[in-house]
Amino acid sequence: MSETIIKLLIAIVAAPLVGAIIAGLDRKVTARMQGRVGPPILQPIYDVLKLLIKQPIFLNRVQILYAFMHLAFMMLTLVLLILGQDLLLTLFVHAFATISLILGGMCVRSPYSRIGSQRKTLMLLAYEPILVIMVVGIYLSQGSFMASDVVAAGAKPLLLSLPLVFIAYMMAMAIELQKSPFDVASSHHAHQEIVKGVTLEYAGPFLAIIEIAHFYEVFLLFAVVYFFWAPYNLANAAVGMALAAGAFLFHIVLDNTFARLPAMWIVRFMWVIVFLMATTNIIWLYRLGTI
Amino acid sequence: MNDINTLALLGVIAGPVIFAAAIYFTKQTKLRNILVLGAALLTSALGIFIAASPSANVYPDSWVVYAGAGLEIVMTLAVLAIAYNIRSWAVGLFGTIQLVLVVISEFMHGESSIGPAFVVDDLSRVMVAIVSVVGSLILVYSIGYMKEHEHHAPATARSTNTFMFFLVGFIGAMNGLVLANDMKWLGCFFEATTICSFVLIGHDRTREAAKNAARAILINSFGGVALTIGAFLALLKGSTQYSGILYHADIIAFSFIALAGLVKSAQMPFQSWLLGAMVAPTPVSALLHSATMVNIGVYLVLRAAPAFVGTKLMYFIAIIGAFSFAATSALAIAQSNGKKVLAYSTIGNLGLIFTCAGIDSPLGYSAAIMLLCFHAVSKGLLFLCMGTIEQKIGSRDIEDMGSLLREMPLTTVITLIGMASMLVPPFGMLLSKWLAIEAAISSPIVLLLVVIGSALTVLFWAKWIGRITTVSYHPWYTIERISISKQSVLAILATIVVIAGLGAILLYRDLFVDIAIRAYQGTYISQSDMKLFEAAGNIPYWPFMAFIGLALVAGILAYFTVNASNVRAPFLCGENVPGSTKTYEFRSVKDSSHLAWSSSLYLRHIFEESKTTMWANLIAAVIILSMFAAIGVL
Repeated sequence: MSETIIKLLIAIVAAPLVGAIIAGLDRKVTARMQGRVGPPILQPIYDVLKLLIKQPIFLNRVQILYAFMHLAFMMLTLVLLILGQDLLLTLFVHAFATISLILGGMCVRSPYSRIGSQRKTLMLLAYEPILVIMVVGIYLSQGSFMASDVVAAGAKPLLLSLPLVFIAYMMAMAIELQKSPFDVASSHHAHQEIVKGVTLEYAGPFLAIIEIAHFYEVFLLFAVVYFFWAPYNLANAAVGMALAAGAFLFHIVLDNTFARLPAMWIVRFMWVIVFLMATTNIIWLYRLGTI
Repeated sequence: MNDINTLALLGVIAGPVIFAAAIYFTKQTKLRNILVLGAALLTSALGIFIAASPSANVYPDSWVVYAGAGLEIVMTLAVLAIAYNIRSWAVGLFGTIQLVLVVISEFMHGESSIGPAFVVDDLSRVMVAIVSVVGSLILVYSIGYMKEHEHHAPATARSTNTFMFFLVGFIGAMNGLVLANDMKWLGCFFEATTICSFVLIGHDRTREAAKNAARAILINSFGGVALTIGAFLALLKGSTQYSGILYHADIIAFSFIALAGLVKSAQMPFQSWLLGAMVAPTPVSALLHSATMVNIGVYLVLRAAPAFVGTKLMYFIAIIGAFSFAATSALAIAQSNGKKVLAYSTIGNLGLIFTCAGIDSPLGYSAAIMLLCFHAVSKGLLFLCMGTIEQKIGSRDIEDMGSLLREMPLTTVITLIGMASMLVPPFGMLLSKWLAIEAAISSPIVLLLVVIGSALTVLFWAKWIGRITTVSYHPWYTIERISISKQSVLAILATIVVIAGLGAILLYRDLFVDIAIRAYQGTYISQSDMKLFEAAGNIPYWPFMAFIGLALVAGILAYFTVNASNVRAPFLCGENVPGSTKTYEFRSVKDSSHLAWSSSLYLRHIFEESKTTMWANLIAAVIILSMFAAIGVL
């Protein structure tokens, strides 16, 4: 019981803090790459705290409900994962968290926000099959859908059997982190868009809710990278950390070298090149007959 | 087999038909409505009774078999009459083939020891429960619907008495079909549902309705021919009953029955009749074309699945289903006609059920039955909502549903519940989809098609939900006025959806798993299947309840505590027009006011029906032909 409580505390309290720090580091490193000093590393947390005490401006009430649903389902994703639940189910919960955000952007009469939402839908369409295939790959290499079995002692590192799926996941992750060239739905950078996308009509505490959900998601995405190298052993954990750090740098470099691409281009890229890559890996596993 | 059960069985089949006849001859509207209500009450009571009663068989006296044979000939003659009426030589040809085969088989003798003519087992109990409960609710709904429909239906429309006759009678035929084991009775009820479908689609007797009804009977009588051929081939080997075909594992006969199933469940390339069927009044779409009749196909295959474990036929059925699922999910994206989106989604979900059945493992079987139940209830509800919306706003177009939440809050919330049940994790549909993917893991092609399909479904649901929840801020809501029969049925169905959806895991663990294991008794159940059964039963409830509850509480709290003074107009392409009740107008060049409008995403350049359908049909036809080739028929 106490173990469950500790796990829950990690999922609910520690995760967003780590996520916020990663986001802060992201801004700092990006700034340094562009020859700027950059904000303090804790800036994302300051931003959220400030947003929370601002005037609660809103357009309609449905919008608020969707923001809460976005956060709740994002938290649920992390909780299910840390409790060692079924990965596919967790993935569906995560998809619904994203759908809530999409609906939040759609339910107001602002064309910009709606366009942002529609692009986000396309992005979801682009990466969701890749994630499902990743889970299938994990099943084929570990013989179980349960997250707890993947991290169990003695499990061999996923990266060894799923190298192409890992690359595919990097692409999917870039979309979810809203990194260029995949940041069509909403970007962190002012130079990419004149009017913000899906979160345009959110302000004050409601925007803070979405930001917090984003911290959860950042943590989640990097945690998955980490688990590509089986943990529960210090040496492995170090490799996992290094992997996550490598992914972090990769996304920042990616973000700074590319300009955004058209949404449909991204869908085609993901569904043709990345999808084939991941599928190749899966077929390879089928041929190996691990199942 | 005791008498009460036999009576209930008889009642659930003949009861609706008798009521239907009474309804047909009733002059007074009020009396007719009471009769419809009575039929609904009787059927649902008997249906629940049968669903709760233990398994039973009805062994025929010889007259039962002869009656079935006679009725089958009558039904075939009715099809021929329709063929003459609509001047369709193709339907005539199909009808003639059927008639010839049925008459020839009269002179042939089957096995001397014959099994039950009617069977009450797990699968038929599930089906009877769906048909009787959902069907009865739709009957009650149609009382209110038809009252309004009479006002703006075209002058050519048939009388509501005829409509109710076929709608109520259909429920009897449908119950008969799922309970029948004797191939004669099966064929007779199969044709009866086809005829009901034909008449109800053509109810308005407009040019379009007549055309689509003709197409429906054309394609479905092709299915009828396939079924008759299947029954005839089985008879050649001596079985006069479905259980006999399964007992002998007569794969050739079954392949034709499966083809009939694919036609009746509107799988690709036979989907066009179901899309055309959407011209019918909405209760028809809800009852026949989403909740019950189209389930016949999956029912026929599910019944047989345990007998054909590991055959190529089942594998191909899984692929056809998965392909239909992926293709219709793509086609639905380009549709802005709400009923058509629902129709495509129905075909897709039936395809998914075929997939689960075709995977032919207990896990797949349990997922199929779960999907069947949840889909019937959710889709029935969504169609009824669609009908209510259409009668109010006069359009089926998704783009016209902009401010529904304000105009008809109750129906919109119920619609949202229905849509959420298709999309949100703890509800049944998503659980079934999840199980479907896990069950499909052993066949990669099926798996990839299901993955693609389920990614595509998100696109049209999200778009639609986004459109109907789009509102400007309003401090108050209008109170919706809809007839009591519609309102109560929507409320009851929505309640069923919510309760069953939230209890999906329990239902799965305590009901569907048992059914699947019983169905596959005697066959080997793999270790990984058992593990997944256990995993599905052990999904912890509390995180879902806790977080969804949290979101709802926080959201509702915010809903009531937000201050109207903090409401702002959306950011448009310029300054908002002040004082405009529509907050989406802005000042443009020379102070002229402009409407800011962005339509939803349809991706018509990729998924346009006219372009995609042909290719998809072609591929599907190739798969079906290869299915027959694989088992050596071609």
